[in-house]
Amino acid sequence: MAGNELRVTSSKNSIFKARPILVALWFSILFLPFKGAKAALILFVVLSTSIVLSRSLLSYAKSLREKGQAVSNRIRTIKLSTRSLFVARYSLLLILIALPFFVRDYLLDIAILTGIYIILALGLNVVVGFTGLLNLGFVAFYAIGAYTYALLNTALGIGFWPSLPLSVGLTALSGFVLAVPALRLRGDYLAIVTLGFGEIVRLVLNNWDSLTKGPNGISGIEPPYLMGISFWRLSNYYYLILIFALLTIVIIKRVYSSRIGRAWIAIREDEIASSAIGINTPMYKLYAFAFGAFWAGLAGALFAGKMQFVSPESFTFMESVLILCMVILGGLGSIPGVILGAIILVILPEVLREFQLYRMLALGSGLVLLMIFRPRGLFGGKSVSLRS
Amino acid sequence: MERKHIKNQSKNKKLPIIDQPLSTDFMLKLENIHTFYGQIEALKGIDIEINRGEIVCLIGSNGAGKSTTLMTISGILRPKVGNIYFEGESINETLSHRIVEMGISQVPEGRRIFQRLTVRENLEMGAFLGRGDFASSLERIYSLFPVLKERERQLGGTLSGGEQQMLAIGRALMSNPKLLLLDEPSLGLAPIMVSKIFKTIKEINHEGTTVLLVEQNARAALKLSDRGYVLENGRITIQGKGEELLNNERVKTAYLGE
Repeated sequence: MAGNELRVTSSKNSIFKARPILVALWFSILFLPFKGAKAALILFVVLSTSIVLSRSLLSYAKSLREKGQAVSNRIRTIKLSTRSLFVARYSLLLILIALPFFVRDYLLDIAILTGIYIILALGLNVVVGFTGLLNLGFVAFYAIGAYTYALLNTALGIGFWPSLPLSVGLTALSGFVLAVPALRLRGDYLAIVTLGFGEIVRLVLNNWDSLTKGPNGISGIEPPYLMGISFWRLSNYYYLILIFALLTIVIIKRVYSSRIGRAWIAIREDEIASSAIGINTPMYKLYAFAFGAFWAGLAGALFAGKMQFVSPESFTFMESVLILCMVILGGLGSIPGVILGAIILVILPEVLREFQLYRMLALGSGLVLLMIFRPRGLFGGKSVSLRS
Repeated sequence: MERKHIKNQSKNKKLPIIDQPLSTDFMLKLENIHTFYGQIEALKGIDIEINRGEIVCLIGSNGAGKSTTLMTISGILRPKVGNIYFEGESINETLSHRIVEMGISQVPEGRRIFQRLTVRENLEMGAFLGRGDFASSLERIYSLFPVLKERERQLGGTLSGGEQQMLAIGRALMSNPKLLLLDEPSLGLAPIMVSKIFKTIKEINHEGTTVLLVEQNARAALKLSDRGYVLENGRITIQGKGEELLNNERVKTAYLGE
């Protein structure tokens, strides 16, 4: 194992050493058509110096870490780290609870959106990260969840809470429906089928005028009420999302470490070996699809309640790609990684808003950079092992 | 543990059709099995019987249908014609995970361990069905393969080929099978490792697990086995006791290189 790690780091080093200039050059060339040669040249200089600088910083940090490891007692570090993790977790929770008292509505709005995307990305992570089935049509489930609540509320006048189980259940059921034909397929073929499913759902929503009002969308959806409290206020809705996001994290974590989660991991690692040890692989794949869809349904209903408006425009293929990016960015299969990925991909475009036109370019190049230096995502790559 | 006398061990291509009533002495019985890959008939009517407590080997050249036979037994492939009985029960239609549950474990060809899980996690996955007591199964595997205990926390992919084979066998044994199917356990291993693995197979058999071994390494496999079958182009052409096959002229020239 040590040898393996050694190899990984040395190959990483070689990338650092050999290619900072190439990386910088590439990004400068990307910029060339937008701002001309001068800006590209400046960018080139800035990028290459910053890469060289970060390289030396990284190696310095590494040497520091090695020194620290040599000094510190192993057992003590483990104890300390669990305690500090505990403290960090609860202080983070406190900060999250206190957030609405400090920040502006704009930031709260972003926080709510982040929460919804965290639920979505964690749901997709079940399918892609845990079970290893590429799903490019995940947004379809999001749409089904959102439209179910929207229709139940506007057409039948059913409130948020009674329609929540209905819309989540219907979404999970649609997960089953997609999974049944998809079970026979693997890899690229599966991806194409899920992509098709996503498009079918969007097109149906777009064209079934009598039910979904087509491209105009459905407006006037009620926000949820609970015991006389309206969640129309942003801060209230923020708490609602916070609770649901925490619930999602806890439940998915529990399921991940259960027997079902282990079966998913086994299927991802080697499907033939999984069936050789007696795992009913089609069944567990079905579970993964339905369970992932379940969370997308929840996120959809919360989204509809927040926006009070749904239209097919919110559920395009790009949305699927965005959610997939969150999962991959954070590290396939890693729950904290996926959460971080969702946070980054919601917040980063907001931060980069000032750059206007260059926003997507910067975001894209950031993603590419990340994939060069951390190809298995922010939190991925150590090992997929369950414990220890 | 009494053994039915195997009648007619002639070298005739045509084998007698066994139409005696089903006997529980046969742990596993394949009756006139025909398996197809699409249009291609890979198995053209195979009869195999395995008694409780035996080591039976299946030898043959590439493409003879050895692996296909194992896949058909473990339910990954379905026979078009014929019957498979396990302990008197027909398992033709049984789903593959149910077959594992009934007590047939397969060590797939090429080992197929979970590379990115640790050795211990691999073994834990082997106990997925929860057949038997976990702690004692684990203890047993570690005493069979002490090296696995040493490497408990190492990732499966970092083991050597021989160790991976041990891990694959250990993982299959974690479900406490009655019948162990081994698909080419000697594939790509150094001779010393091969003899080590074969010694362990003998040991596993002594502890009461029936073994069906598929091998290209005919000499080693026949020395180890109580009985053997020679498979050629989807048909069983020769069958008999291990040492009989070792002395059989046709086997000698075709598989032992003498």
